[in-house]
Amino acid sequence: MTKSINHTFFFTHPPRVVWEYLTNAELMAQWLMPNDFLPLVGYDFQFKVNPVPALEFDGIVYCKVLEVKPFTKLSYSWKCGPGNMQITVDSLVEWTLQEKENGTELRLNHSGFKEGIHVPLYTAMHDGWAKNIAKINNLLNTATHGTANA
Amino acid sequence: MAQQTLDAFQVVGDASRREILQMLSKDSLTINSIADNFDMSRPAVSKHIKILYNAGFISIQDVGRERYCTLKEDGFNKLQEWINYFDKFWASKLQKLETILNNKTKN
Repeated sequence: MTKSINHTFFFTHPPRVVWEYLTNAELMAQWLMPNDFLPLVGYDFQFKVNPVPALEFDGIVYCKVLEVKPFTKLSYSWKCGPGNMQITVDSLVEWTLQEKENGTELRLNHSGFKEGIHVPLYTAMHDGWAKNIAKINNLLNTATHGTANA
Repeated sequence: MAQQTLDAFQVVGDASRREILQMLSKDSLTINSIADNFDMSRPAVSKHIKILYNAGFISIQDVGRERYCTLKEDGFNKLQEWINYFDKFWASKLQKLETILNNKTKN
């Protein structure tokens, strides 16, 4: 099962030109989405796209700038959901620029997909039941004792 | 007998049911082959399977005379849909960026 998205593109432009298109809100809007991005670590911004009802996606991506290394690396969190600030997808977008002889190699890694609802149980199923059964047993035991002591 | 619908915690609170889920995490199995792994009666195993099914933990498919149980992964499938969506999303966006940059005079 795919857990992350990877794309590599090559552009016949130097990294600083590609970087502009990744970090200037107006230039970003030309190819990506309307946004209010600023290349400042810790800055909260949003992308706006058409809603996707099938995914219960209201079309707003909530992001926070995590890393800004001019012309080299850029990363931000990428969260979205059905609306009312409810987040069902919590992920990470990382851009890496590498200078090549006649241009720039741009790599995108979109990863860390976590889903808010029902995940613990399903993750448990896939990440090894044994480990989680122990956890569930502990929780159940604690719950029982907790009630007894309360 | 009343339809048994327990919450997820109650469902996994039972050792036999956890064992069934564990078995299904490796492969789909028929109800008969699941029952073969237990000392309890087949109806007892069926009851556990019904509980797992009602709680959405497994799906059951009839293949010929056999009933196959499969772990249900709704939560994961949904997440995979998101990943697929964004994968296509980025591919098309980056192609657009490529077009814009290709049309731009080199400087």
